[in-house]
Amino acid sequence: MEDKKNCTGPLMIALQYNDLFDLDSISTSTDTDALPKGRAFTFMKAVQTVNERLVEQNKSDCLLFEVILISKECSEEIKTKIVESVKHYGLEIGKFFFCKKEELINTLQSNKVKLFLSTERDDVYEALHTGIPAALLYDQADDHVFNQLTVIFSGDVIGFSEDSLDGLSEFGFSETQIETIKTAKICMKEFAVLIGQMRRRFGQENSPLCTCVLTSWGSRNVCASALKTLREWGLDVDEAFCLAGAPCSPILAVVKPHILWDGGLLNMS
Amino acid sequence: ASNPFTFPRCLTSTTTEEKDWAAAKAHFENLKSTKPRPPKPKYAVTIAVSSRSLFDMVAERKIFEEEALEKYVQHQQEHENEPLKPGPAFPFVKALITVNERLRNLYPDSEELFDIVLMTNNHAQVGVRLMNSINHYDLTIERFCMTGGQSPIEYLKAYMTNLYLSKDSKKVQEAIEEGIAAAIMFKPDVETQLSDTQLRVAFDGDAVLFSDESEIIVKQHGLDTFFEHEKQYENKPLAQGPLKCFLEALGKLQKKFYAKNERLNCPIRTFLVTARSAASSGARVLKTLRSWGLEIDEALFLAGAPKGPLLLKIRPHIFFDDQMFHIEGAKEMGTIAAHVPYGIGQKYNKGKLTEPEKQQK
Repeated sequence: MEDKKNCTGPLMIALQYNDLFDLDSISTSTDTDALPKGRAFTFMKAVQTVNERLVEQNKSDCLLFEVILISKECSEEIKTKIVESVKHYGLEIGKFFFCKKEELINTLQSNKVKLFLSTERDDVYEALHTGIPAALLYDQADDHVFNQLTVIFSGDVIGFSEDSLDGLSEFGFSETQIETIKTAKICMKEFAVLIGQMRRRFGQENSPLCTCVLTSWGSRNVCASALKTLREWGLDVDEAFCLAGAPCSPILAVVKPHILWDGGLLNMS
Repeated sequence: ASNPFTFPRCLTSTTTEEKDWAAAKAHFENLKSTKPRPPKPKYAVTIAVSSRSLFDMVAERKIFEEEALEKYVQHQQEHENEPLKPGPAFPFVKALITVNERLRNLYPDSEELFDIVLMTNNHAQVGVRLMNSINHYDLTIERFCMTGGQSPIEYLKAYMTNLYLSKDSKKVQEAIEEGIAAAIMFKPDVETQLSDTQLRVAFDGDAVLFSDESEIIVKQHGLDTFFEHEKQYENKPLAQGPLKCFLEALGKLQKKFYAKNERLNCPIRTFLVTARSAASSGARVLKTLRSWGLEIDEALFLAGAPKGPLLLKIRPHIFFDDQMFHIEGAKEMGTIAAHVPYGIGQKYNKGKLTEPEKQQK
């Protein structure tokens, strides 16, 4: 199996507490012990499954997921409620950070967060813009299975050449947006390398980790280029989808990813 | 009972979708090659083909079945730069591309075209070899779905598939149950020269274009009852079968050629090849088609004669039939046959009821 000296863990992921818990339904919730479950719940369960399977294979594996919770300023009451709720649900949260919005980026950087996940596109984009690896925590259906963590990488961001990315300016993308996409590619690489190492600990079948490439705009050569690049980075993705302009929401509804790395490319206004 | 083959295909367009579409369009137009961009799915006739129908992967399949999945994927990766040989659906796909060229010439701004999607259960790493092979033959296939082992059925819907071709009978059956036209591809024993300017599609009637209601009568009550019944109900249209919508889609594209005075030179030709006889049970079939507003270019009534020799004269790029007996006959004589596993015909083999355990694979 993997050499111990290859240990580059843990893979730190940051979540925001308003994704972990559903604050909007606090008033209608009958459970006074804990905050209502939020959109990140299925993600947490999937991550815990991956960790369990990794440890099952190798007790001293240090390349495990570690999730930290970030919270913007809130009252002491809410802070306590958050910590209690995490305990109540048996969630494995490594650390809690309560900080001002302006401190968010610093907190992420100083904790060597390898991935900042949020359901808010704006937050993801802002983080990417400052060089923090960030991806979309995709909204999941409640009945999603918990025994597999699914990650999608954007084939457009990885597979498009520099020239093609620059050419996006003719299509209404600003300089800043194009730079962010290029930064996203660099961030994706670091994450892909780690996920690749993790993925290799399992066989092709029955893996708790499922990796995919989704090419939304590019032609088949862009998709092929993305597959080869990811392979060079050490990640042999399991699934690939090339849409060449076809709508992607029906596909996403079938794949049901937890993590969607789109580099801010999809859904940019 | 509701007929599953009439479910509507509608998709509300959102601004996100429009943006994705526009971006892809821009990307293709910026490409230095003359590669045509794929059509908008909601207007296109989408044909999903599996990797084993498009390419000959018999040797590779053997490795997959006899050795581990890892060995199979490794083998594919090692031979990544060796293009695969054409499979049974290859001539059909080439013919679709030819029709598209003609359509683009006449209607440069239209999205009403054939769209071909490679729909495979294969691992994405095998996909590289598939894409290299597609590049080698310069096929216009830009949409892919490599599910890494997951069932393709939900993806067929997500890609708005109008017809699914595969060598896997289980998947094809599932697709038909979900209301998607589908067939199992068979490679002919002999190779036949096919037209490279005209797409030729042959259909069986009962349990393919039409429901199996009349076939049930034949199987359960015999031919005489069948003839009486068909004469009595001559003016009552038969219910739809799994391939009716595909014939309809072909008809719509044909009309586009007629509108531009290209009827004599139309690159799509359709054939009905039925065991019914013109005199006793043929009228109902023709009247049904008429009631649906569908035309078929040639209707051939065999009155029970074998289909193989006639198909050899027609030389279709694909022939759809529900009965394995006819599929085998066609295949032996060099016709590319596609089995539609629908209706009562699946429980019979050469006219005899098979026991439940002996059902076709």
